Amino acid sequence: MSNTYLDQFPAEAKVVRAAFYSSFFALAIGGLFGIVQTLHRTDVYRFMDSADYYTVLTAHGVLLAITFTIFFLVGVFTWAVTTSLDRGVENLRFTWAWYGLMVIGTAMAAIPIFAGFTDSIDMSASVLFTFYAPLQGHPLFYLGLVLFVVGTWLAGVDWFRSWRAWKAEHPDERIPLPTFMVLTTTIMWYIATLGVAAAILLFLLPWSLGLIESVNPLLTRTLFWFFGHPVVYFWLMPTYMMWYVMLPKFSGGKLFSDPLARVVFVLFLILSVPTGIHHQYLDPGIAEGFKFIAMTNTMFLLLPSLLTAFTVVASMEHGARQRGGTGYFGWLKALPWRDPVFTGMALAGLMFAAAGFSGMVNAGMNINYLVHNTFWVVGHFHLTVGTAVALTFMAVTYWFLPQITGKALWSRPVALVQVVLWFVGMTFMSNAMHRAGLLGVPRRTAEPQYEGVTFEAAVGSVGELNAQIALGGVILTISLVLFFANVIATGFNGRSDELPSNGYADALSGPEDAPLVLDNLKLWTAIAIVLVIFAYTFPLLSIVQRGGLFGPEVITFPVSLESLAPIAAALEYGGLATVDGVASAVTGALEPGRIAIAEVVR
Amino acid sequence: MNVHTYEKLWLIAAMVLIVGFIATITYGSVGLGIAMVGDQQETVEPTELADDERFGEPRVEQIGDDEYEVYVVAQTFSFQPDPIEVPENSQVTFHVTARDVIHSFSLAGTNVNTMVIPGEVAEMTVEFDDPEVYGVVCNEYCGPDHHNMEGQVHVVPEDEFDLTEVSVDAPDEVDAGESATVDVTVENRMLDGLETTAELEIGGETSVEEVALEGGEATEVTFTVDPETLEADDSDVEWAVTVDDHEERGTVTVIDAGDEDGGDDGGETDE
Repeated sequence: MSNTYLDQFPAEAKVVRAAFYSSFFALAIGGLFGIVQTLHRTDVYRFMDSADYYTVLTAHGVLLAITFTIFFLVGVFTWAVTTSLDRGVENLRFTWAWYGLMVIGTAMAAIPIFAGFTDSIDMSASVLFTFYAPLQGHPLFYLGLVLFVVGTWLAGVDWFRSWRAWKAEHPDERIPLPTFMVLTTTIMWYIATLGVAAAILLFLLPWSLGLIESVNPLLTRTLFWFFGHPVVYFWLMPTYMMWYVMLPKFSGGKLFSDPLARVVFVLFLILSVPTGIHHQYLDPGIAEGFKFIAMTNTMFLLLPSLLTAFTVVASMEHGARQRGGTGYFGWLKALPWRDPVFTGMALAGLMFAAAGFSGMVNAGMNINYLVHNTFWVVGHFHLTVGTAVALTFMAVTYWFLPQITGKALWSRPVALVQVVLWFVGMTFMSNAMHRAGLLGVPRRTAEPQYEGVTFEAAVGSVGELNAQIALGGVILTISLVLFFANVIATGFNGRSDELPSNGYADALSGPEDAPLVLDNLKLWTAIAIVLVIFAYTFPLLSIVQRGGLFGPEVITFPVSLESLAPIAAALEYGGLATVDGVASAVTGALEPGRIAIAEVVR
Repeated sequence: MNVHTYEKLWLIAAMVLIVGFIATITYGSVGLGIAMVGDQQETVEPTELADDERFGEPRVEQIGDDEYEVYVVAQTFSFQPDPIEVPENSQVTFHVTARDVIHSFSLAGTNVNTMVIPGEVAEMTVEFDDPEVYGVVCNEYCGPDHHNMEGQVHVVPEDEFDLTEVSVDAPDEVDAGESATVDVTVENRMLDGLETTAELEIGGETSVEEVALEGGEATEVTFTVDPETLEADDSDVEWAVTVDDHEERGTVTVIDAGDEDGGDDGGETDE
């Protein structure tokens, strides 16, 4: 008889499964768009109009950076809290409600994005993942994003409820490490999303509905990056959690240090948000001093990542020595390289080291002139979110799938080939992207071929770089196909009774070695807020003072031509009544949604 | 808290690395003088750029011996002026703003790169040493034709560079047997004086006038064209005015008495 997560928490396992499958659905479409773009940009194969490239790019960015990552991580976090507290969620209906809200939000945002492909629907949101005003998307796009984020907020409430209920029964115990990681990450997310919530609710949504005439493009952009940088830690923290609590287990050993893992997560909580301005080093209207502060904070954010590198490698070494490994480097041979879960995560970690180096270049304020908005940046984040996060998620899926379905993985060899292919494909693609960026090739461009601009390569050529990017893209696509083959085929397997038990790694140095103050979440939250106030109050005040709260008069540049006049009118005159109506409509919609989803995942 | 010795060493090394990075960036700012695009410039009204003192006329301006200011407007999907011409061995301050959405102004393969945000003015001072043609791209997505948004900066040899503006006022038509007057306005927008010639070529004849201008001055040169010169086989007589490498062209239509057709080619041009 197995003791999987499904056996322990059958109801919660369904939620995690639904979240994972939603995540994979986004990964499939986003990945398909990835290869379409790769071939279009490199001029290997173009079948669509270049104007549609930006619609594809918007969908690729939103579906992968937001939908794929966040659906997966709410699944992981729910697993982490329930497993480490050893208790189910407090109210299952509430859990399904936030999941449903996230699904509805995604669908609402996706409709105008996909409508951008056809002229027959007068709706579009080809504003890219960053939706910088005065480019204007359809109101439904902004509204969908809001609902999605509210869904994640409620998910956070769910995890905090579990913790409080557990704490009432275990007043003197330390917060189990996985739950500690979830809670600190959630607090960081609450602070970070205030920026995007303000940008959308106060400015972009009313503006897209025609309620306000104009916006301050620098202000909404700054509020976006208030959220836009910490969001990367929202993806990265579950990845780190997997490296801390799962990788040592797969290596055959224990986590090196529980207290330092806590220190790392506390550092991310307090330093993630006051760094967003490093995306705006080249923005006019923000003083150099503010940029310098953001740069300093960013550089110190290297610390938790460097500590993680140490702990992860030390834990792997410990595991290898438990397995009989010896010597200075000889222990590497004793690691379970045939295990796709371990190998995928280890390769993801290796790529993250490379990503750290290109990130240090990005973070170098005045060095940033050379690489800002070039293809270099795209290379960088395909190493971070595209490999460190995505490859870890895919690898760990091979462990999670049996846990949440009760079925054995269809094929471990295929899984091993899949994670290695991802690593190889990304090596080609990302390295070439970095190099192209150094030549000045811009990112976010359908056709980086110009009449009057040439990109001169000291080594190789633009043609060679494009060939590597296209080759890498094709390998990545093959890898994705293998991943989905495994996920789907596993679904067709019968129930197995010989699955590994649910659980995570023990620590060599346990929580008893960690100072109590580390678990003082209120203290860290307060420090985080103070740092945000320091880093953002003056820049925001200065931006508002310069350009006005609602900006100078800007020329609205709708990528969607139709404003939703009826909704605008309803909001203007209906006020709160309408909002209440929407809320009850949403809750009403959740019930059938939940049932439908439960059917699908069964 | 129990921290392993190796981990302590690693922690110290990490801190040294971080402080080292911050030090190199600070050195870049203070030692090498690489300033960030900041908030030095006043804001601007994007909808009223046409009447703006700075951006009403996108242009190159000389402000010192080897110092120039360039006022650039980025808009969907072009840059003005294009191309931007500046001399070698010069220090050029770009002022860039946007008429509509967010763009960038980026010289490919260099670290001349800034965001361009409506309402804000990006200021960047750049040193150009040798003559070269730089491609300019917009590297921030700005709409469906974003990939066609490009321009050029031409850094030209000093002896080929001027800020001379030439405009010609010539009649469209003259009655046969009458003389024509061609007014050439030459403006020297450099700080140094300009000594050159204005040359009019019409009906196979060339006349040359000396032009001597102080910095920032403009003058008008008047050519009077004899009726004989205008007697051609065709009733349309072509003319060309040349000042250094600036050339203006047009035609004058000679109308015979009783011939009421008139010419349709204009003669007044502006560079």
